[in-house]
Amino acid sequence: MKFLCVPCDQPMKIQTVTPPDRGSISVTYACPACGYEMAMLTNPFETQLVSSLGVRMGPEGTPADASAQPKCPFSGMVAAAETEAREPETGMRWTDEATERMQKIPEFVRPMAKTGIEKFAQESGHAEVTVAVLEQAKSRFGM
Amino acid sequence: MKSYHDIQGDGGSNILEQVVEQKERIAQALSRVKHRVAVGSGKGGVGKSTVTRTLAAALAARGLKVAIVDADFNGPTQARMTGLRGAVPVPGVDGIALPKSQDGVGVFSVGAFLPESEALDFASVSKGESHTWRATKEFAALGEVLAAVNWGPLDVLLFDLPPGAERTLQFAEFLGPQTSFVLVTIPSEVSRGVVARSVAALQSAENPLMGYIENMSGYWCAECKEVKPLFPETKDGIELPIPCLGRVPFDPALAFACDRGVAFSALPETAATRTLTAVAGRLLESLEPTP
Repeated sequence: MKFLCVPCDQPMKIQTVTPPDRGSISVTYACPACGYEMAMLTNPFETQLVSSLGVRMGPEGTPADASAQPKCPFSGMVAAAETEAREPETGMRWTDEATERMQKIPEFVRPMAKTGIEKFAQESGHAEVTVAVLEQAKSRFGM
Repeated sequence: MKSYHDIQGDGGSNILEQVVEQKERIAQALSRVKHRVAVGSGKGGVGKSTVTRTLAAALAARGLKVAIVDADFNGPTQARMTGLRGAVPVPGVDGIALPKSQDGVGVFSVGAFLPESEALDFASVSKGESHTWRATKEFAALGEVLAAVNWGPLDVLLFDLPPGAERTLQFAEFLGPQTSFVLVTIPSEVSRGVVARSVAALQSAENPLMGYIENMSGYWCAECKEVKPLFPETKDGIELPIPCLGRVPFDPALAFACDRGVAFSALPETAATRTLTAVAGRLLESLEPTP
């Protein structure tokens, strides 16, 4: 989808993308020539369609390394909120390095992987998930 | 006034470019995979997963490096069949480490960490409308998996596809023409009819169609020591216009082994295992024809 400022005949540029509010996001565009601003407000159906592509929305220059970030900010936020509501709190700590490695796991799998790894760590007598624990888990699961 | 095609990009998000990047990440992750083979059918319940799992083991027994992607996110079975239930994805330095079955086959299956009493669910802000976005989401999720797993160097990567003739074509287009297809049927006219539709659908794709495997092609009667028919023989039945790679008789011992995740190599030699080993050989010859 592209937006054109008709008086200037110039393509408009994304300025901001707001977090989802009841499934709707607000994307602000501005004309680089005259500065005129407009906002596109999506309904939940439209939000879901775009997020299902696994892409992010936002101004150019945000998340340079897309693989290290949720693929789509709004789907990420929705997913995170639902995950927090569903997952029991294990109290297991994660080191920054181990947390960073978890970002390599696709978002839809991450909660289940996290639960399984924490269970393994608990059963192995660890109070914290470290990179070393992840390596042990790999061996345990025949990797 | 400018038209859509006069304007470069989309004003910031560059959605189309991101989709291209996704494809590039997948291609990079699969760059050390020599052959990709999708096992489909169109028809459900014909034994696609069993055939995939046993073919993988038979190929691994030849010394090949083999892995399976369970692309059936809604009915994943490979984790159970390969004895890998509970093997959650663990991130390594170069992506998700791939668990291996006792046969030495790498397996990615959602069934490894999703309880069998639960259906896979995706976070959604559009409840009640999943028929409009679910397939798109599943392909995006599969793409993320393909890009995230450390496949390493592989000789053959097998895709265990979900049923549905239209889904088979969607997978062909998603996986690209580098992926060859093998279809599985059973000796019923109903099944052959659906598989014939899959063949027709795949003809609009560029993917090589290597042939079909007739599963449950009779059963091995241990008392009579012979293969007896499971389905009535029909005359003037539907002919599939692709080569037959083999006819695998139903084998209760093999079915039991798949239910329990027993290694293929641990099974006694039977008509079914011999046929599957032969099919693996034919498949390999098709993939790597000898000059």
